Amino acid sequence: MAMLTALNLFHSLPLAELEVGKQFYWHLGNLEIHGQVFLVSWFVIAVLLIASILATRNIQMVPAGFQNVMEFALEFIRDLAKNQIGEKDYRPWVPFIGTLFLFIFVSNWSGALIPWKLIHLPEGELAAPTSDINTTIALALLTSLAYFYAGFSKKGLGYFGNYVQPVAFMLPFKLIEDFTKPLSLSFRLFGNILADELVVGVLVLLVPLFIPLPVMALGLFTSAIQALIFATLAASYIGEAMEDHHGEGHEAH
Amino acid sequence: MMHWTILLAAEAAAEGGKGGLFDIDATLPLMAIQFLVLVALLNALFYKPIGKAIDDRSNYIRTNQADAQERLSKAENLAKQYEQELADTRRQSQAVIAQAEADAQKIAAQKLAEAQQEAQTQREQAQHELDQQKQAAMQALEQQVDALSRQILDKLLGAQSVG
Repeated sequence: MAMLTALNLFHSLPLAELEVGKQFYWHLGNLEIHGQVFLVSWFVIAVLLIASILATRNIQMVPAGFQNVMEFALEFIRDLAKNQIGEKDYRPWVPFIGTLFLFIFVSNWSGALIPWKLIHLPEGELAAPTSDINTTIALALLTSLAYFYAGFSKKGLGYFGNYVQPVAFMLPFKLIEDFTKPLSLSFRLFGNILADELVVGVLVLLVPLFIPLPVMALGLFTSAIQALIFATLAASYIGEAMEDHHGEGHEAH
Repeated sequence: MMHWTILLAAEAAAEGGKGGLFDIDATLPLMAIQFLVLVALLNALFYKPIGKAIDDRSNYIRTNQADAQERLSKAENLAKQYEQELADTRRQSQAVIAQAEADAQKIAAQKLAEAQQEAQTQREQAQHELDQQKQAAMQALEQQVDALSRQILDKLLGAQSVG
């Protein structure tokens, strides 16, 4: 009986609640949007913009303070894009891939680090924007569009040649790939972040103090890795779309 | 007793009603547009200025390094040249010293020969004078012997003739 009352006590604590699949709806005309996702994403965007402004407010030849941090971030993103796309074409794609990485990373960590549940919404709860399927599908579809655009802008209609490389037999698989790429991208990110938040939430519900800490640390790690994976895969798809197939050229020689 | 909200959520999703985990609505396109706006903003505020700073710095470092490399090679060339000049000068000075030594030796030998010759001539002269004097002395001695022998003869014969 004492245990039951203890459990009930946890339920009365604001931190030990768990709500899944409840959305805080906003109505925009006759459209419905998820308010909690936008609120946190605006926070994330604000963080990114403020960080950028702080870093570029006073650019110096010898970087100091925050400029150093952001230069490190940019070097990291450039390396990532360069590795996947190649030295020649990577530069125009740095903003897209970098923003993917930064947005997902800051979203994930804000979901993991900031106690959003202290802010009460009429319905649903604030969480990482990436734990909402809409966000991840939006990012994944943008990635698909990006690699189609990359392929067509690089090779024109010759991009369709990719579908029969290295053998025509590959055509159905390559077609299916175009659908599985955004699907896997979006569900991987969504699943990982939501699962992490659920695991932490359930553990907090059961054992509110200290025990969830290792899982939270693991969650931070997974969140960072997921951002890296999303950005790397996006860059790799773009690189793949722009890749030159030298098949015919080699045969001609 | 405990309301398992996870189960409720799953049920809500299964019912296909409003809400649930896979509730796809206008959030998706709006989020996509918002993301593209973020890309544009960050491009202007972050990627361009910071990227420019990084590129400028690497350019600066590259040019400076090339410059330094050039200067280093120039300095090395100069050092090599100086070393060569030094070696030349040393060789020249050694040649001069050798020449001077040879000259000195020659002069010394010449002087020595001259001195020896002079000594020889002086000795010969001395010998000659000595011989002359000896001869003169001999002559004088001979005359005296003659004179004395005559006196002795005079004394011996003179008494007889006188007596």
